[in-house]
Amino acid sequence: MLTRRQFLDTSFQSTSILSLASSVPCFLTRSLQAAENKKNNGRILVVIELNGGNDGLNTVVPFTDENYRKYRKALRISESKVLKLNPEIGLHPALKDAAKLVEDGRLAVIQGVGYPNPNRSHFESRGIWQSAQPNPKAHGGYGWLGRALDQKSNRAQTFADAICLGDIDPPQALRGRQSTQSTIRNLAELQLDSQSVNADVGSDKNTTDDLRQFVRRRTVDARATVERIAKLNNASQTKTRYPQSGLANRLKDIARLIRAELEPRVYYTVQSGYDTHINQKLNHYRRLSEFSGALNAFLNDLRDSQLDERVLVLVFSEFGRRVAENDSQGTDHGTAGPVFLAGPAVKAGLHGTPPDLADLQDGDLKMTTDFRSVYATILSKWLDINPQSCLQGNFAAMDLLQS
Amino acid sequence: MESTLQAEKPASSIRWREYRPTKKTPWNLRRVVHLHRRSGFAATWNELQRDLQDGPQASINRVMNGTTCEKTYPEDFERMSASIAEEAVRSNQPDRLKAWWLFQMLFTTDPLTEKLTLLWHNHFATSNHKLEDLSLMRQQNDLFRSLARAPFGTLLTAALHDPALLLWLDAPSNHKGHPNENLARELLELFTLGFGNYTETDVKEAARTLTGWTVIDDQFSFRASQHDAGQKTILNQRRAWKGDELVELLLNQRGTAQHLAERLCQLFLGEEIAQPEDIDTLADGLQTHNLDIDWGTETILQSELFFSDQNIRQRVTSPTEFIIGATRALELVDPPPQTMILADWMRKLGQDLFYPPNVGGWNGGRDWLRTSAIISRANFAAGLSRGQFNANHTHLDWSSFAAKHGRSSIPEDFVAFLADLLFGGEPNPGWIEGIVKTVSSDSHSREAVLKQAVATVLASPEAQLN
Repeated sequence: MLTRRQFLDTSFQSTSILSLASSVPCFLTRSLQAAENKKNNGRILVVIELNGGNDGLNTVVPFTDENYRKYRKALRISESKVLKLNPEIGLHPALKDAAKLVEDGRLAVIQGVGYPNPNRSHFESRGIWQSAQPNPKAHGGYGWLGRALDQKSNRAQTFADAICLGDIDPPQALRGRQSTQSTIRNLAELQLDSQSVNADVGSDKNTTDDLRQFVRRRTVDARATVERIAKLNNASQTKTRYPQSGLANRLKDIARLIRAELEPRVYYTVQSGYDTHINQKLNHYRRLSEFSGALNAFLNDLRDSQLDERVLVLVFSEFGRRVAENDSQGTDHGTAGPVFLAGPAVKAGLHGTPPDLADLQDGDLKMTTDFRSVYATILSKWLDINPQSCLQGNFAAMDLLQS
Repeated sequence: MESTLQAEKPASSIRWREYRPTKKTPWNLRRVVHLHRRSGFAATWNELQRDLQDGPQASINRVMNGTTCEKTYPEDFERMSASIAEEAVRSNQPDRLKAWWLFQMLFTTDPLTEKLTLLWHNHFATSNHKLEDLSLMRQQNDLFRSLARAPFGTLLTAALHDPALLLWLDAPSNHKGHPNENLARELLELFTLGFGNYTETDVKEAARTLTGWTVIDDQFSFRASQHDAGQKTILNQRRAWKGDELVELLLNQRGTAQHLAERLCQLFLGEEIAQPEDIDTLADGLQTHNLDIDWGTETILQSELFFSDQNIRQRVTSPTEFIIGATRALELVDPPPQTMILADWMRKLGQDLFYPPNVGGWNGGRDWLRTSAIISRANFAAGLSRGQFNANHTHLDWSSFAAKHGRSSIPEDFVAFLADLLFGGEPNPGWIEGIVKTVSSDSHSREAVLKQAVATVLASPEAQLN
């Protein structure tokens, strides 16, 4: 359960937002934000989280490595099926669209990304990736993007700094001290009953009770969001064809919000189903193919709208899986895995060092790139935000983006 | 029983001391409402008045012994419930099984047990998304209900022999020589010790220990040929561990008692009300009481801490508390609401029963208040105010509802009545006036104004707090 302390600081600014919320029309704050966006070249980050622990070894496959063949028998992807990126490494056959994106110059693959002292609990490891802290509960439980947005958050705006699309809990990555996030199941459903009215029960400015403030603020924010979404015009609908999948639908919604020039600079969504302890082959194939089809459609949609130059996509999973497969045609929780960056701004192709299958630790891969270096790259070179305070440490940026 | 409890508790447990009304903490409507909303899903006006009269001891006793809710279901509830469940399983429609559970929550006379059943569904979070077997999901749900207040060891042992849980965590694929760690890891991390109280080696060795535990013909089965009988080191103890011995070992660890204490405090208390020393004391007590869930529950519900001002209305209302609570308190049960529709609202509010998001269950707390969920709460409130979820809603008449309880249908009085019923009084000065002003602004009919009042009150920030 999220606790008071974790939200303490978030809520204290709410008085000002509340007092503004009912009086400042959205379009005013919107034009303010539009100007702000121009200053940052209107750059947007979209995060796709592959939830459950994606099997990195069968995503970016060292198909000539004899150890790969030794550890993976039932689940091995043969050289004939792999989508080769170089003579030794290739993508899972379900990633056809992704392979095309690499060729096209729109997908970068960073190998062996992880962190020291790997944690094999879904929840702990997810927290580490989302908070960029060894202890996710420390420092107020804020997320790396929440802290980043804190530096840019416009206190006068009534609209969220980040939007999460999907039927999930608000991700910790977006939790900030001042910045706000909105979590929306899907756009079509976000409609208010015509008979529902917002009671003006006073802004209760004197209350120091942060839970009350939190709830009031969330209520005001939610209604403001609905109003904005209701005003999206048909022009923001896409003409690009998306495949049929939950992830594709969510990315389609995100593209629509980007087209409508909404304020958020960060969008977040999750594709789940990667916890493949048994019968991995078919399940993993389906997930990856869904992922790569959706990503491809999303990037094409943005290109058709001439917006893709402004959008960078980050794809990560909380951990990779154990090098040796288990006896149930599946894999157990492991450590490092690949991270993807997508969009025309990336330097396409393979980056980093592939993990060494001859040098394992407790049967798991040793990471070769710290995930915070990837974050540092995104923050400093894409979002123009000082990474040091977001990551609470110095992590060198990598050469992943076109300058 | 209370006096023996007092005697056994260490001196530092002062905040778990039995609540006795004082001048500063009187037994008033606010505390009666609080007891019902936290231990169950909100009370009707008659139940509130009854408990206000009878005092804390009688009220808490009724909550504990499952007689707190007046019987509202006209027919034989148990039989009806069983037949709805059987029909749901036969039809193979998940929505009907969800509807059955909501029916159970709505009409039970023992809401405390239902609330704990939901706690165990969240603790041993199993999803039908993977299982696709309503019969096993129902069986698991009945198990959680029947052992909801048992000693935790009894519940844990039964859960670990429950086919739905074993299939969910891939126990049948956990073989000698090739362990599958799924069940072992969650047993240590989520079901017993909690993160930080075990090592990766413990997980691997526990997985070996659980080899051979499987499901055959929808029944638990131990296959000796698949069991790894070798030596294993778990929590620094080396021996040829067997599954039952592992469970026993885990039950005796401090971490398990601590975890259980935290779970119960999370369910019944507001945000950060229980301090670390309170959790410690409760965990001590649980250890001396065989980890008895019923003991832990009663200790919390009758405590000074539970009835302290700081604990009242200091929690985000959960989806069941919101939906079932509003339906019960506003007595929208005759004709019974269509619980299939309520089940769909549960999904929109973020708690799709039998489909927890993952093995960790629902986070709850402030995470319930996602943008979409807040809008859905407002929409539910509007629908409820129109009686939209009841089969024959044309008879809905808020003036009569007020009159039935001796309150007038003048907007000021009606909103004050709602505040009494739902919050135990006006949540803050000027609140009633604010609502009245909002709903009376258009020149609607009296009944339309009352409808609007119900919708607006339930959608207000204050109604999102319990």
